[in-house]
Amino acid sequence: MSVTDERRKAAARPVPFGMRDRLRVPKERYYDREFFELEKEHLWPRVWQMACRLEEIPRPGDFVEYEICDQSVLVVRQPDGSVKAFHNACRHRATQLCKGSGRLPGGQIVCPFHGWRWNLDGTSSFVYGADGFAPECLRPDDIRLRECQVDTWGACAWINLDPDARPLREALAPAADVLDTVGVENMRVWWWKETILNANWKTAQEAFHEGYHVMATHPQLTSGLGEDYPYANTEYTAFENGHGRFQGRFDPSAGGVSQGRPAQAFLDRSRTLWEGQDAMTLERDLHVFRGMRNRVPPSEDFPTAAIKALSDYAQGAGIPFHPTPEGMRLWGGEVFLFPNFMVLPQFGNALSYRIRPHNDDPEWCRFEVWSLTMYPEGDEPGRAKLKGRFAPDDHENWGLIPRQDFSNIERMQRGLHSRSYEQHRLATEMEQIISNMHAELDRYLAG
Amino acid sequence: MTVEQAGRRGPVVHVDPVDAELELEPDETIIEAAWRLGYHWPTTCHGQATCTVCHVEVLSGAEHLVPPDDEERDALETRLPGAQRRDLTRIRLACRARATGDAVVRKKGVRPTQTVPIPPTGPL
Repeated sequence: MSVTDERRKAAARPVPFGMRDRLRVPKERYYDREFFELEKEHLWPRVWQMACRLEEIPRPGDFVEYEICDQSVLVVRQPDGSVKAFHNACRHRATQLCKGSGRLPGGQIVCPFHGWRWNLDGTSSFVYGADGFAPECLRPDDIRLRECQVDTWGACAWINLDPDARPLREALAPAADVLDTVGVENMRVWWWKETILNANWKTAQEAFHEGYHVMATHPQLTSGLGEDYPYANTEYTAFENGHGRFQGRFDPSAGGVSQGRPAQAFLDRSRTLWEGQDAMTLERDLHVFRGMRNRVPPSEDFPTAAIKALSDYAQGAGIPFHPTPEGMRLWGGEVFLFPNFMVLPQFGNALSYRIRPHNDDPEWCRFEVWSLTMYPEGDEPGRAKLKGRFAPDDHENWGLIPRQDFSNIERMQRGLHSRSYEQHRLATEMEQIISNMHAELDRYLAG
Repeated sequence: MTVEQAGRRGPVVHVDPVDAELELEPDETIIEAAWRLGYHWPTTCHGQATCTVCHVEVLSGAEHLVPPDDEERDALETRLPGAQRRDLTRIRLACRARATGDAVVRKKGVRPTQTVPIPPTGPL
């Protein structure tokens, strides 16, 4: 997990504006066109990336188009429930076959230009006017859709454009194993929204790679402590493969990050989190917590009792929420999966982010937010659909917490262009997830 | 006659002139039932509500068809040849129309499938 990682051969090509150490990030990495083109050539075509949530394609014949920079991939649910991914281009004259998401009710992928067709497994099923082509132009292996690597984990489909890429779980290690302890496999979409930000994709995601910003960015979460708000009770870990994690330092056997908080303070903070984003803490959790208000003797820790009540409630309702000590340590923290996916678990819920470049422009990104929760078994929600694309300052559709974050992200991107500015200076421990991500990025760009 | 009175599992769409009886499964569209039961049905987009080639004329039971969604209405109004001159309340897309009860529709070109699906070895 150091910059001298031996997994790839010694640098085959120089990386402009490369990382020289773990304390500084050259500003050009966030807007330079040449650097962006290197990412398009050497990062995105070779890295495992979250292509869709599996609830987007619940039934055979359902598809989702996943776009990354100038590439488009179709993720298609097969009749046996498995998932395949195809490069989204007709084998005849390149037309994009499907757009957005939807169903292929006849089990046929159809080119809108000349009506060539393929089965859900990518094999050719029809060429209109086939006798008008030379046989060598219609060899079955040539005209079947080009597959791309796909695998599933964490209730998501992941794709990799590199046919020689290592297996998904190897690439996601150890971050995926860490997230397994909070049951991400059992989480489903509560809501899903996106915004377009005038910022580099890395600028945007790095706003979420530390808890150090909470004091100034989200003052409503400091319980009135202001600048006395503690920052040292969070532990940051840079993992191999560019992944990272931060979590609270506390006894995982008790009430999670809130252990020791008096009842009213715990309820107030839970309410603020729910109102502030309708994620991580949901109304259902609040309801259970409030029901415990006068039922916990002062000698007992209220958060511990409240979480026990939540667990009992889930068991009675058939919700697959099984808190583990390791998992509880992650509540209120975050796991970052290189290069652009994040999960922030709390109770049986989580926030999840995916950030992609937008419009082939290093200074714009598409930022998606999922609020996830666990539903009673057998009572899962239907097909997951994007609620919409909302402006970053739309206070009807974004809670206070994301609006505060979005606002800083666009201002950061502006500041990067200041003629006075050269590089980020990072906190050694608190901001190591950022430098670790950049070090892994340089490995892709160099080798 | 309602579905319950007939004691059947699902609504039946009768297709003229081929004289086909399509029993629809839950959530199934007319064209999906036809495909499942081995009929060829004219279309070029295969269920994307873009070509309108699959459209049917509803002869009876229009009230037993689930009303068209925005996608179907848009296709009928903007892509169906001569839409302005036609009574669109009696025209539906077979790839979008679902049924809650029996209906009779007319569609030329529907026929039992005579060819087998092209094998994975290719179309030639």
